[in-house]
Amino acid sequence: MSEVKEKLFKELAAAVVDMDEDKAVATAEAVVAAKIDAYEAIEKGLSAGMERAGELFDEEEYFIPELLMCSDAMYAGMDVLKPHIRQDAVAEKRRVVIGVIEGDTHDIGKNLVKIMLETSGFDVTDLGRDIPPARFVDTAREIDADIIALSTLMTTTMDGMGEVVRQLNAEGIRDSFKVIVGGGPISQGFADRIGADGYAVNAADAVRLARRLTAAEAVAA
Amino acid sequence: MAADAMTPLQRLAAYAKGEPIDRLPCVPIVGNTAARVIGARVGDFRGNGRLIAEAQVAAYRLFGYDTIRVFTDLYTQAEAMGATVHYPADETAYLEAPAIADPAEIQRLQPADPHRDGNLPHHLEAMRIAVDAVGAEVPVTGAVTCPFTNASFLVGAETLARLMLREPETVHRLCELSLETSIRYAEAIIEAGAIPSLTDAMSSSTVISPRQFREFSYPYLKRLIDFIHGRGKSVTLHICGKTAKIWEAMADAGADCISIDNDASLLDAKREVGEWVRLMGNVHPSAVMLQGTPEDVRQATLDCIRQGHDNPRGYIVASGCSLPTETPFANIRAMLDTVREVGWPVNLA
Repeated sequence: MSEVKEKLFKELAAAVVDMDEDKAVATAEAVVAAKIDAYEAIEKGLSAGMERAGELFDEEEYFIPELLMCSDAMYAGMDVLKPHIRQDAVAEKRRVVIGVIEGDTHDIGKNLVKIMLETSGFDVTDLGRDIPPARFVDTAREIDADIIALSTLMTTTMDGMGEVVRQLNAEGIRDSFKVIVGGGPISQGFADRIGADGYAVNAADAVRLARRLTAAEAVAA
Repeated sequence: MAADAMTPLQRLAAYAKGEPIDRLPCVPIVGNTAARVIGARVGDFRGNGRLIAEAQVAAYRLFGYDTIRVFTDLYTQAEAMGATVHYPADETAYLEAPAIADPAEIQRLQPADPHRDGNLPHHLEAMRIAVDAVGAEVPVTGAVTCPFTNASFLVGAETLARLMLREPETVHRLCELSLETSIRYAEAIIEAGAIPSLTDAMSSSTVISPRQFREFSYPYLKRLIDFIHGRGKSVTLHICGKTAKIWEAMADAGADCISIDNDASLLDAKREVGEWVRLMGNVHPSAVMLQGTPEDVRQATLDCIRQGHDNPRGYIVASGCSLPTETPFANIRAMLDTVREVGWPVNLA
């Protein structure tokens, strides 16, 4: 890697970790001006920075406000770089459909998981909050998702997660998707009981889980 | 199981003085589960203080726990300040939209009048009725959402999180407005014969850093607690999620009792702040109380008692957070029965 390139990637990563939107945009513009590969800059610059932010979150150096600000810087840089990605540079991405289950509108946790998954190279379709079980199933089928990710913060809405699994079973397509669950009241025991493929305790853990499940799938295929 | 020999008020008073009691105080934190006790729908609590009181008094009489808490959801004060709350027919209400869409609209916000705005007058009515009915035997409390958490409902949680780093002054203004509402509501609760019970979900270290807690939440919490102390009432403060790094600050803010959930350890809390505050917690509200068997509840309750019973400033057996609406009655009974079984002095043999 050339020195200029390496320096710019480091600066992109630092802009994300430092929550500096302006610097992320300026550095992304410098990347474009220097005709450096935009896809590589996202991967080795912005995403690397976000990964570091995720580690700081795990270490309780960063909290939700910092992580949100880091992601603002990442997306600001991404907006500059995206139009310059060469199509042949893009690897086929694993697809995730994510949302907060019907009856619950707390989406801060879901949004963090979405950000971290996108950062880690997943193509995420975000249905939003208060989503009926059937829409997860329909959307997963439409976009040929690899993973269905369900979130809730409320105990009253947990049953909707089981309902997604039941509908997949009823339609005979359960094996086409990995179902992962998370949120305040959710536990590994609950995930097992409803027949989900995995439970993640936080956003960083969700990325590890999604990677593990899709890697296993690739081996099995 | 034998009936209790003391009323909750007698028990709590004796416990505070270090006198003999019949069993440890026990508070499975019953919120909308009370609707199930009288066969009402949760949505019918909206605007109906009489029904809330009827349900809460019936639930207290059924289970015999040690505090009645008038609580339906966290949004009552924010709603009274202009937030939009959605009320499903038979589930807990949730925040549909914050009071303002843009922080620039902050000048539109006014502190609420608890005797006039939103559902606050109905909650106050519920407290008055409950105090009339059973106030001579059990403390009746009214849930107060603390300033920082209320501020998050005024502007939206993610917006507030970003403002903390971008425009800290705006966060302080939102907290100040929320504090004024909390103080007015706390005063009205005390006038109604009840006791304010503080809850501050967003102040959790699962959401914000301990440093941010000190900067944005603590000052307002302290002023609110000072106000309540000035009216001669002691204060229970509940913060969900991770709290170990802010226990000292919670105690510094003046809390007499801190209520912690299952992301926190009673044993650690006892070691670190047990000399200054009473502890309350922390049987898992969903994994154990909602989804477990009565035997699971018994084991979890015994485990909590083992950790907390010798806390220097006392211990209240409790769920880690408000119980889910559909918590089985058998599990709530199992918690109380376990506390009766171990008695006082606690016998864990």
